Amino acid sequence: MADRPPRLEGKVAIVTGAGSSGEGIGNGKAASILFAREGAKVLLVDFQEDRARETLDSIHEEGGVASTLQGDMTKIDDCERMAQTAMERYGRVDILDNNVGISQRGTVVEVSEEDWDKVMTVNLKTILLASKATIPHIIASGGGGAIVNIASIAGLRAHSSTPYTTSKAGVIGLTFSMAADHAADNIRVNVIAPGLVYTPMVAPRMNDDLRQLRTDAAPLKTEGTGWDVGYAALFLASDEARWITGICLPVDAGLTSVHPGTFTPMNQQTRY
Amino acid sequence: MRLEGKVALISGGSRGMGAFEAELFVKEGAKVVVGDVREEEGRALVDKIGGDAVFVRLDVTSESDWAAAVNESVDRYGKLDILVNNAGVSARGSIEETTVAEWDRVMDINAKGVFLGTRQAIPEMRKAGGGSIINISSQLGLVGMSESSPQYQASKGAVRIFTKSAAVQYAAEGIRVNSVHPGPIVTPMTEARRSDAAVQEVMISRIPLGRYGESEDVAYGVLYLASDESSFVTGSELVIDGGWTAQ
Repeated sequence: MADRPPRLEGKVAIVTGAGSSGEGIGNGKAASILFAREGAKVLLVDFQEDRARETLDSIHEEGGVASTLQGDMTKIDDCERMAQTAMERYGRVDILDNNVGISQRGTVVEVSEEDWDKVMTVNLKTILLASKATIPHIIASGGGGAIVNIASIAGLRAHSSTPYTTSKAGVIGLTFSMAADHAADNIRVNVIAPGLVYTPMVAPRMNDDLRQLRTDAAPLKTEGTGWDVGYAALFLASDEARWITGICLPVDAGLTSVHPGTFTPMNQQTRY
Repeated sequence: MRLEGKVALISGGSRGMGAFEAELFVKEGAKVVVGDVREEEGRALVDKIGGDAVFVRLDVTSESDWAAAVNESVDRYGKLDILVNNAGVSARGSIEETTVAEWDRVMDINAKGVFLGTRQAIPEMRKAGGGSIINISSQLGLVGMSESSPQYQASKGAVRIFTKSAAVQYAAEGIRVNSVHPGPIVTPMTEARRSDAAVQEVMISRIPLGRYGESEDVAYGVLYLASDESSFVTGSELVIDGGWTAQ
């Protein structure tokens, strides 16, 4: 460690989607571990609490402070219970990291109305509800705060997954608007747009060929991990980013910096 | 430490944001070459920092100065991993008021300086197996502001897209290139403007977080981009502006 205090010393963080949906390290799990490593007390919230417990085990192995909570972020009652639990267990709330998300492919012709509603609810409405429940507690804690939302580069461009793209574009717009609304409360709101990151969420749709295709499409010629997104979340959640609000930070190996037609393999991913 | 074993070159490093970055980088384990035309301030800074920083005279419009600065990094510390293209000048005025000489002066320092520094640094970063270049653009490289000037805005816009060009060209070699876009920061460069209370009030009224930025607000963003924590981030625009452009 450098000769400096931990980067989140004294902070309390809520991470939604803190468990990984399968083997490996997802964005929420990585952020949770990094937050705890840097001194935050972390409430690990997941629909599947056993997944959050795996994250908790990793944090305990490093001597960090965290606890789990089962919660369905599509339900306002669960979100309010989440924020209250953080207050009861740790006495304050400073950080909310919104990771809950699912994939949904298809064109507007293909997608069912039910699937559309589901992805918009899980990817977008959960951020509304978790933030609605948590912001008053951040304000009451008296130290300002930071909300980090996880979108996707699919929210910046067409990505052969219209419902997902729409929900993630919504997350980006919601972030800008929340940033403007809550700056006066000294609550910063930023969004990360991961791309070409291999996490448990995308793993079921992947095989070695597709992973190689994505790696080749990445200007950096590497595959991202949950840690890459986690470190970005750590930076944005910390006071190091105290004058940063309303930004969208791509973590995508440079993919969105390239002329969209440069990497045709991306257009061939329609069926992965 | 977040920059352990890294060697960095910071242009315009003798004061303001560059000086804060030099101190922060050394605290995080880096060795730093501070380049600037302000020799007295630059030498005082490296004396203050102590053993892990060295000053070189660097006029960013001079390619031979850049070559010497990169050589100093390699001779003194063995390599170059990080380049912060921080040097820049501000300018005000309308398009009609702006002379060609003034346009050229600002474009030379703010835009050509970044090109020259990048051109000199890339071969050494290639030898080091990768690197990170951070180009300091501005919020005014993203949006227009009537109180600024054509040459300042054009130069900072040039830095924005030059960054993406460099990012794409050198990504496969593990060299990352990102831009940083500060809003109004309390630095010597902005001192003249800030001394006008009416101007300051208008500026603050435009910033959602309600205050000017400080050098450290920018320096920590630069640190993130310089470190391996951002190893999957290239071509990005990191806006550090108190929420100004999000509105």
